[in-house]
Amino acid sequence: MRRAGVVALNTFREAVRDRVLYNLVFFALLMIAASVAVGQISIGIEQTVIVSLGLSAISVIGLLISIFLGVALVSKEMDKRTLYALLAKPVRRSEFLLGKFAGLVLTLAVNTAAMALGLLLAMLYVKHSLERSDTVVLVAVYFILLKLALIVALALLFSCFTTPLLAILFTVGLYIAGLYVQELRNLPIEVMSPPMSAFTKWLSYLLPNFENFNVMAMAAHGRVVPGALILQNTLYTVVYCTIVLTAAAAVFSRRNLK
Amino acid sequence: MKSEKSIAWLLLFVVPLGFAGIWRMQRRIDAERASITEERDEVLLRSPKLVKAMSLEYAPLLADIYWTRVVQYYGNKHLRGQANLDLLWPLLDISTALDPNLVIAYRFGAMFLSQAAPGGAGRPDLAVQLIQRGIQANPEYWRLYEDLGFVYYFDLKDYQKASAAFLEGSKKPNALVWMKIMAAKVAAEGESFETSLFLWKDIYDTSADPSVKKNALMHLQLLTVKEDCKQLDALADEYAKRYGKRPSRMSDLVQAGLVRGIPRDPLGFAYVFGASEKTELNLDSPLLEKQLMIERFRKYVP
Repeated sequence: MRRAGVVALNTFREAVRDRVLYNLVFFALLMIAASVAVGQISIGIEQTVIVSLGLSAISVIGLLISIFLGVALVSKEMDKRTLYALLAKPVRRSEFLLGKFAGLVLTLAVNTAAMALGLLLAMLYVKHSLERSDTVVLVAVYFILLKLALIVALALLFSCFTTPLLAILFTVGLYIAGLYVQELRNLPIEVMSPPMSAFTKWLSYLLPNFENFNVMAMAAHGRVVPGALILQNTLYTVVYCTIVLTAAAAVFSRRNLK
Repeated sequence: MKSEKSIAWLLLFVVPLGFAGIWRMQRRIDAERASITEERDEVLLRSPKLVKAMSLEYAPLLADIYWTRVVQYYGNKHLRGQANLDLLWPLLDISTALDPNLVIAYRFGAMFLSQAAPGGAGRPDLAVQLIQRGIQANPEYWRLYEDLGFVYYFDLKDYQKASAAFLEGSKKPNALVWMKIMAAKVAAEGESFETSLFLWKDIYDTSADPSVKKNALMHLQLLTVKEDCKQLDALADEYAKRYGKRPSRMSDLVQAGLVRGIPRDPLGFAYVFGASEKTELNLDSPLLEKQLMIERFRKYVP
C-alpha cells in the first residue's frame, strides 16, 4: 500500500509538472465572464446560470482530464519505457495501477476543489452572500468527483489492453451509454422478446450509471440532496471502481510487456 | 538569433495588419451575404425530448442558454416593433422541458406569450398551458398561481378561472394574504380598476428586471389614464347638466369648480377633450403613442 502511495504521489507531481492545473485559469476567466455577462443578456437566471455553468465546466474539464490522462497513465509509461524500470523494483503491477489511479484522482480532487472555490466566489459576487442551501453545490461537486473517479478507473482498464485511441473511444462511449441507462430500463418490454428484455435489464445494471451523479438541476435551484443519496453514490463508486480496477489489474498482470 | 528577431518583428506587423484585413473583408462578406439572404429566425431542433436527450448531463445549462435565447428573441422583436413571435413557444417549450424547475421561464414566458401585440405574442392559451406545466413541476410555488390568475384576468377575461387560480395559490406555503382577498374580489366584481392596478403594481414591485418593470409601469400609467379619462368624462357630463353644453377645454371644468387644476396624465401632460367630446391624452404625451399602439394591435391582430 505504501508503494502504491509513492506511485500516486509521483503521478500527482507529474500531472502538476505537465501543467494540467493550467485549466484553472480558463475556469476562472469563464466564471468572471459569466458573472458579469449573464445579468446583461438574460432575465432572472444570474444565480442559476452561475451554478449550472460552473458545475458544467467542472464536469467537462474534469472529464477531459480523466479520459485523456487516465488513458495515458499506462500507455505513456510504456512509450517512455519508464514502466520497465519501475516494475523491475519491488512494485507489483496491481500496486502500480492502484497508485496511478489514486494519483490521478488526487489531481482531479485538487483541481475540482480549486474550481469549486472559484465557483463559490463567483456565486458570492452574484448573490452578495452565501446561504446554507448553497452547500448543495458542494455536494454536486463531490458527485462530479465520484463520476470522474469512475471514469479514470474505466480509462485505466481500457488502456491496459488496447491502444490509447481505442481506449479513449471506449471510455467516451461507455460514459455516454452510462448517461442513458435509465432510458434502457424504460424501453417498452412489451415489444421485446423475454430474453432481449432480460438482456437490456441486465445490461442497464452492468453499465455504470452516470445519471446517479447528476444533481446539477437540484444544485442550480438550491434543492437539498438527501444524505442517503450521498452515501449510496459514494458506495456505488467505491464498489464499481473496485470491480473495474480489479479487472484492470487482472488484465495488466497478464499483459506481455516485452 | 538575428533571423528569430526579424521573424518576431515581421509577426508584430503581420498579425495586426492581417487581422485588420480579415476584419474589413469579413464586414464586406457580411454585407454581401446580407443583401442576398433573407433574415430568418430558426429553431433547428424543435423536439424538447430530443434536445434533452442530446444535452447529456448538461440539461440545466442548456435550459439557461435556451431561456437566454427566449429573452434575446423577445427583446429583439420588441425593439423592432415586430409582432411575429412564432418561435417564442417552441423556445419556451424546450427551455422548460430541459429544466422543469426554471420558474422564471414559466413566469416571464407566460407574460411574453399572453400579452397582446406589440407587448407579447397574443397567445394567452399557450401562456395558460405553460403555467399549468410549471405548476405541475413546481406545485408549491404560489407565484405561478398568481401568474395564472393574471392571464385569466387580463388576457382571457375569465374572472371565475382567475378567482379560482388566486384561491388555489392562496393555499400554498408562503402565499401572501392578498391572494385570498383577490380571489374573492375578482369573483365578485370581475375586472375593476383597483384590482388591475394592484396586480400590475405587484409585478412592478416584485420584478427586478428593468424591461419587465418598464412594461408594468407602462400598464400602470395607461390604467391610470383610463381611469382618469373615465372620471373626467363623468365630470364633463356633470358640467353639461349644469350649463347645457359640454366643456370644450379642461379649463372649463376648473372654472366650474369641478376640478382644482388642469388635470394631467402620469407623465405631466394635460388631458384634452377630443373631437368626440371625450377626454383624451394630449398629443404631446408619449403615453398616447403607447395607447394607440396597443389599441391598434388589439383591433387588427387576432
